[in-house]
Amino acid sequence: MDGPHDLGGKEGFGPIDVTSPPFRHEWERRQWALSKTSDKGAMGGSIDAWRHTLELLPPAVYHAVPYFEKWCIQSLCVLVRDGGVSLDEVVRAADATPEGPGTARIWSVEDAVEAVRANEAFFDADPGEPPAFEVGERVRTLRHGSPGHTRLPAYARGAVGTVTAHHGGHIYADLSAEGLEEGRHLYTVAFTAPELWGGTADPRDTVLLDLWEPYLVPA
Amino acid sequence: MAFDRDKTAHIHRELHSHLPPDPALRVKALESLAVERGYVARETLDAWIEAYSERIGPKRGAEVVARSWVAPDFRQRLLDNAGMAVREFGYEGHATGHLKAVENSDSVQNLVVCTLCSCYPFALLGMSPIWYRSAAYRARAVREPRKVLAEFGVTLPEAVGVRVWDSTAELRYLVVPQRPAGTEGWPEDRLAALVTRNAMIGTQRDLALPDTDGPG
Repeated sequence: MDGPHDLGGKEGFGPIDVTSPPFRHEWERRQWALSKTSDKGAMGGSIDAWRHTLELLPPAVYHAVPYFEKWCIQSLCVLVRDGGVSLDEVVRAADATPEGPGTARIWSVEDAVEAVRANEAFFDADPGEPPAFEVGERVRTLRHGSPGHTRLPAYARGAVGTVTAHHGGHIYADLSAEGLEEGRHLYTVAFTAPELWGGTADPRDTVLLDLWEPYLVPA
Repeated sequence: MAFDRDKTAHIHRELHSHLPPDPALRVKALESLAVERGYVARETLDAWIEAYSERIGPKRGAEVVARSWVAPDFRQRLLDNAGMAVREFGYEGHATGHLKAVENSDSVQNLVVCTLCSCYPFALLGMSPIWYRSAAYRARAVREPRKVLAEFGVTLPEAVGVRVWDSTAELRYLVVPQRPAGTEGWPEDRLAALVTRNAMIGTQRDLALPDTDGPG
């Protein structure tokens, strides 16, 4: 979808705050921690469904609220949509002093560190057919995007690049967001800066993207 | 279950208009609901915060980079399959399954961005700096990488081309900076202390030696 998240190449954002640390406020740390343990069950789904829920924030909200607030709204949305929590319950939870210790097991720091290690995930999936492209081949990306979740950014559509790597089959993000785990061939494709940004771009520079086969046609 | 886009967008609008605007209160709402439903204990959130402040951060990546400088066989394993190579340190985990290491050289400066969200090799580098997930960085890194690098104080030599890696799939990227001159014979831990988070994302090129006025 042409959502507010698809930021590559958009102009007018101004300078970058290059000194910024990972966290500025305690609630940001809290939200980061929440996302570590709440990304399962009623608050979870695939990484692609997670991303797509976030992409569907109203554009004005997406651009206005801080980064970790988006994660919070994402999780609250999933709780209401899939977790049987009502809008009223969410609003009350923001207002009331929480009660009771809950029933979840308490983790130690060691448990958390081990959980990060054990969370190594692989996205390989058999595409069921041989690759259509090989390394060194010229390919063109699709001109039009998908109405749903997709990982072909708008700035790289309708552009010609060169396949620099083939990664075998990976779970196809576009279908994974819809709950279907299917493999498609995944490639790294290099685009010259002038191909993407026009003749004034620096010819020494390239942009490389990891793109699934359905995004590509022979150039 | 098919993804219901209209319903999702509707809930977003309802939540945003009914919740208090203070993000701290919104996070409090999520925490209360998650604790109440037994998804997580409050004390566990404290454990996660400590794990990511003390144990999981860019020092891990720096150790990996330093070893690649001193051990040619490890360097080769890192370039062949970085996800497997970091297992030698026990640093595999969240978002490193398909890790790729990309080396800077006299003619290449690598720069990593995620224009569509904020993909990052968390188990290896910890949480990303705010600038990495800012709209300005995500928008500009692919379009004007040299201006972005200049804002970080990086001026590239004439021969250097920029390779911008936009993390669009589940591959994650680790930039391996060049080993600074004058560090011959240094032990790994002393070398690792030179390697910064920004250098491993690509927004720093020259690593500074202690007690010098080098860039970065």
